[in-house]
Amino acid sequence: MIDTIVRRLLQSIPVLIGVLILGFLLIQLSPGDPAQVFAGAMAPPEVVEEIRRDMGLDRPMIVQFWGYLERVLQGDLGRSFISNKTVASELADAIVPTLELMFACLIWSIPLGIAMGTLGAVWRGSILDRAIMAFSVAGVSLPIFFICLLLIQWLGVKWQLFPFIGRGGPLWTVDGLRHIALPALSLGLIFIGPVARMTRSSVLEVLKLDHVRTARSKGLKEGRVILHHALRNALLPVITLVGLQAGYLLGGAVVTETIFSYPGIGRLSVGAILSADYPLAQGCILVLALAFILINMIVDMLYAMLDPRVQGK
Amino acid sequence: MIHHSRKPSRLMLAGLLAALPLGGMATAQEITIVREVDSNNYDPQKSVARAAAEALFMMGDTLVSLEPDMQTITDGLAHKWEVSEDGRTYTFHLKDGVTFCDGKEMTAEDVVYSIKRWVDPETKSPVAWRAGDVKDVVAIDDKTVEYQLEEPFSELLYQLTQSFGTIVDKENVEALGEDYGISGFNGTGPYCWESWTPRDKLVMTRHEGYDWGPEFYENDGAPHMAKVTWQVVPEENTRTVALLTGQSQVTQYIPYIAIDQMEQAPNVEVQKSDEAFWTYFMGFKIDKDTVADPVVRSAMNLAVNQEALAEDLMFGRVEPAYSYVSQGALDWDESLDSELLRYDPEKAKQMLDEAGWTVGDDGVRAKDGVKLQPTAYVFAGSTWQKISEFVQAELLKIGVDMQIQAFDATVAWGKLATQEFDMFGMSFPYVSSGDALNLYFRSENMPTPNRMNWDDEETDTLLDKGKTALDDETRASAYGEVLKKVHEAAVWLPLYHEPMYVVHSAEMEPVVPHNNYGAGLYKGLDLKFKE
Repeated sequence: MIDTIVRRLLQSIPVLIGVLILGFLLIQLSPGDPAQVFAGAMAPPEVVEEIRRDMGLDRPMIVQFWGYLERVLQGDLGRSFISNKTVASELADAIVPTLELMFACLIWSIPLGIAMGTLGAVWRGSILDRAIMAFSVAGVSLPIFFICLLLIQWLGVKWQLFPFIGRGGPLWTVDGLRHIALPALSLGLIFIGPVARMTRSSVLEVLKLDHVRTARSKGLKEGRVILHHALRNALLPVITLVGLQAGYLLGGAVVTETIFSYPGIGRLSVGAILSADYPLAQGCILVLALAFILINMIVDMLYAMLDPRVQGK
Repeated sequence: MIHHSRKPSRLMLAGLLAALPLGGMATAQEITIVREVDSNNYDPQKSVARAAAEALFMMGDTLVSLEPDMQTITDGLAHKWEVSEDGRTYTFHLKDGVTFCDGKEMTAEDVVYSIKRWVDPETKSPVAWRAGDVKDVVAIDDKTVEYQLEEPFSELLYQLTQSFGTIVDKENVEALGEDYGISGFNGTGPYCWESWTPRDKLVMTRHEGYDWGPEFYENDGAPHMAKVTWQVVPEENTRTVALLTGQSQVTQYIPYIAIDQMEQAPNVEVQKSDEAFWTYFMGFKIDKDTVADPVVRSAMNLAVNQEALAEDLMFGRVEPAYSYVSQGALDWDESLDSELLRYDPEKAKQMLDEAGWTVGDDGVRAKDGVKLQPTAYVFAGSTWQKISEFVQAELLKIGVDMQIQAFDATVAWGKLATQEFDMFGMSFPYVSSGDALNLYFRSENMPTPNRMNWDDEETDTLLDKGKTALDDETRASAYGEVLKKVHEAAVWLPLYHEPMYVVHSAEMEPVVPHNNYGAGLYKGLDLKFKE
């Protein structure tokens, strides 16, 4: 197990270097002039020039990149061009809400998705199965912003159950929970679909296998057969899917966070990229890349736990 | 003195309220204002964002203030002032008992420091010119400031009402250094800085003891609100329903499409002000082949139906514009009213025909090998997309094939500083005709903000005359002449004047929209829940 983790950590170093280079180049290629943004609309050209010099934007790209690498290695991500706050502090402020949002979204949608998929598989072809599949297809195909707007319309405006702007506070407070409800519901709704579908087909596969037949012929109760013998084995592909989907989730979070004005990393990245705030945008890219590496590691570890054969390799 | 006797009772009241189990009562002194974008920072001398002005008017004060009519200068930190005969020296007498949020007394030295910081090249303020050609600012005594100019500047008092002229605390500026206006701000305004998370929210609290607000406010004490939160909500639908569901109590950022609905909703009220000086227009680069011919520019002015634009695209919520500044603005030349170019496409076609611009096989006009296909640079985003497509369709009817290129706001300013386009779309706030004219039509302001390349000696002379005028008539007539010149040359295509709409909860007393720099709530002193 520890071997796996160490190996994965070593493997992630070249990936991170690649991310640093790509992030730097992408941002350089994207349009936008931070000096102009900083100076504002009515600034005379001399002032803009001077600001550009101050920011170091007039130096050759390779020099800028080297400076960037040096600073990152020392743990200094720089200061945002726009807000002048340190990038590290802006990222730290934004990560917590996003982690909360991910958590609040996954905590209900994964178990529900798995349960729905399993039920669908067990009662294959029944009305329940069809309803579950219809719901899943809808969840997969509806764009996230549409779901967000629908939830705002029903739960926010019509019945006024939950607020829909901003973050109320930490997750464990009542206000925090009330504010996170709608974003987490919206994000979770697009998550249930794929999870339910994958679970269903995976459980169907496993139910055909010999060991399930053996378990049944031993006279075990059907519930026990499904939970212990079928579901455990069927979960492997589901976990891969969840890992992959988590990336998609971060993308969805950008939209969700924007619509609900939720101060997370998705909204921060979009703002940073749109306003050509290079240091902040690079910081966001770095954090998102790290998140991907981390999610992949967690998936690998879960694999090892669920399937002892993986550990041996 | 009255003040001191009042304070304990207010504290007692607050204590009583806090003890009450009713949550609603305690929150009746807190409001959330939703808005579209945040500012880059809250350093008054450095930020030109409207979002910064909105907050700085509340957290700081200026020497003089502007009444909601956008014409009358009234008291600010100065209760009175004198201007010398030659218009070069302004003497401001400061109010007594003005304190910063941290409790320190504000003196003439703070005023001197703030104005000098504004014009100091080190500060790199993009708007230093708005302070006039400052020779020196000196403190005569603790409560008197002498503002000396190299040459007279008739707009000075108007410019001093802008957020750039906010009086700041030297110690605070020096203590915070690079973090000034980012992690804190110590001002003399009715509200005090509490916290800011960029692109999310800015929170301010009541400045206890504040009683030096401008006279035109009914409230002559501290603000009624204990806490004001400026929440950034980029999604316009979300902002609209936030008002309807009571999650926000007031905003000026409601899309036109929703105003009808807002007016009918029982729990919100809509306030409108026409004394709003914010104009949308498209400018022509007058030395480009396509639009160099004044006939072409006039014809394009005649071809666009501003009334239809206002009615169909903006839901009848804006004023169609035929003039470059609002006809209600200070120093507008009334003799121009009858000469403004109004919708007349037939005449436009006839003018172009007469000038030799003939229609080609593809329906686009050309003359001497130049096709009438001007390229227009506009801002990406729904507003300019709608406007420019409308203009494009109108122009095509008279044989002008306008090409649109849209850029994100962060890119657009840089693109608009080049010479590579023929037309551009823009909107801008101003306090007076002179403010707008000096900004856009001075030859020294090429290539920006004079993106038209309007290079005219007489205009420069007249603008100087207006700027340094010692009396109102001279100023008005000089600016009037400039207005006449640029209107005759049709260097812009005016589209609409944007009125100010403030939407607020019906539980609040009516809000009078203010328009200084487009900051609808200005000092926010009268924001109050109904009793």
